[in-house]
Amino acid sequence: MNEAMLVSNVFLWAVVLGLVVVVLALARQIGILYERVAPMGALMMDQGPKVGEVAPAFTLDSIGGGKLSVGGHTGRSQLLFFLSPTCPVCKKLLPVLKSIQNVEKGWLDVALASDGDLPEHAEFYRKADLKSFPYALSTDLGMTYRISKLPYAVLIGEDGRIRGKGLVNSREQLESLFTAKEAGVASIQEFIDQRA
Amino acid sequence: METILSLFSDPVVTRALGATLSVVLLVGAWHKLKDPLVFSAAVDNYRLVPERLSPLVAGVLPIVELAAGGLLLFPEMAFIGGLLALLLLATVTSAVAINVLRGHTKIDCGCGGLSGQPLSWALVVRNGLLMGMVALAMQEGVARTLVWADYLTVGGAVLALVGIYVSANQLMTNAPLALAVRK
Repeated sequence: MNEAMLVSNVFLWAVVLGLVVVVLALARQIGILYERVAPMGALMMDQGPKVGEVAPAFTLDSIGGGKLSVGGHTGRSQLLFFLSPTCPVCKKLLPVLKSIQNVEKGWLDVALASDGDLPEHAEFYRKADLKSFPYALSTDLGMTYRISKLPYAVLIGEDGRIRGKGLVNSREQLESLFTAKEAGVASIQEFIDQRA
Repeated sequence: METILSLFSDPVVTRALGATLSVVLLVGAWHKLKDPLVFSAAVDNYRLVPERLSPLVAGVLPIVELAAGGLLLFPEMAFIGGLLALLLLATVTSAVAINVLRGHTKIDCGCGGLSGQPLSWALVVRNGLLMGMVALAMQEGVARTLVWADYLTVGGAVLALVGIYVSANQLMTNAPLALAVRK
């Protein structure tokens, strides 16, 4: 009898752990599904203007005064960085953006874009010392470029075409946008595929 | 009734819960320590301490978490580890509750550094359950000699509880997306 109980126990634990793994996998898959069907979800990420297309042009008011022009045939490249005051990873990347602005100023303008209430953003602009960047608030801009997750960056070339875009969580991912531009491909992935 | 109560202080229960909490706390601490800048910004989002103090709070929290998780692994240290864990959970849960009451919920909870979980009452309930587990794990367990089948139970229970915890977090991450779809 004892032996039978032990065997059943071992077997039951194996089944319970198997079930836990299945539940975990289900929960993750449901999460991915929701992301895909939610308004402005992940599937939309690759909709909106594609790499190689002419970037939709905008002229917006910057928080620090002046105007921010997005897109257009300016002869200079532009890095458009979408952020928010409550996005921790965005804050981590601000010093990186400042250094990129310094190092690449020969060919690149860096601009910040967000959406929400002006007072909150104005305070963030002041506290994070962002006066060296144009900073525009526009729901329309975020909708046009289909921004659903932050921090998101769009690199627009000197000819006004989109040269790279995507979710950026680190300095490396930001720099990979430049690498893709130099190689003349939409993304590093495409570059690897071409070489293969 | 007596039997049921003594079940709760059986060494298998206290050790399984202690080890589960250790895993949860140590993994949480590791995520926070891995990216201190990001966690500091997450602390800042709670708007409870002056901005200058955020890095300090963000530095202290994971250290306490690490100590609590480490101590809970050892039955003879479980009481002190449990006290630390209760202190930590009470602090962070109040922070979540205050912000849910303020209606300031669209921020990352920062639970595992960054988890993509917004603030909600579900998070408060989750931490309440964790605190209950801590209380049980802190007990001076009934002394009895453990046999190999007990170790099987402890191992299985830890894996199962950690799995359930991760699944619950995933469901809490899904919840706002689910609401967005239903609207």
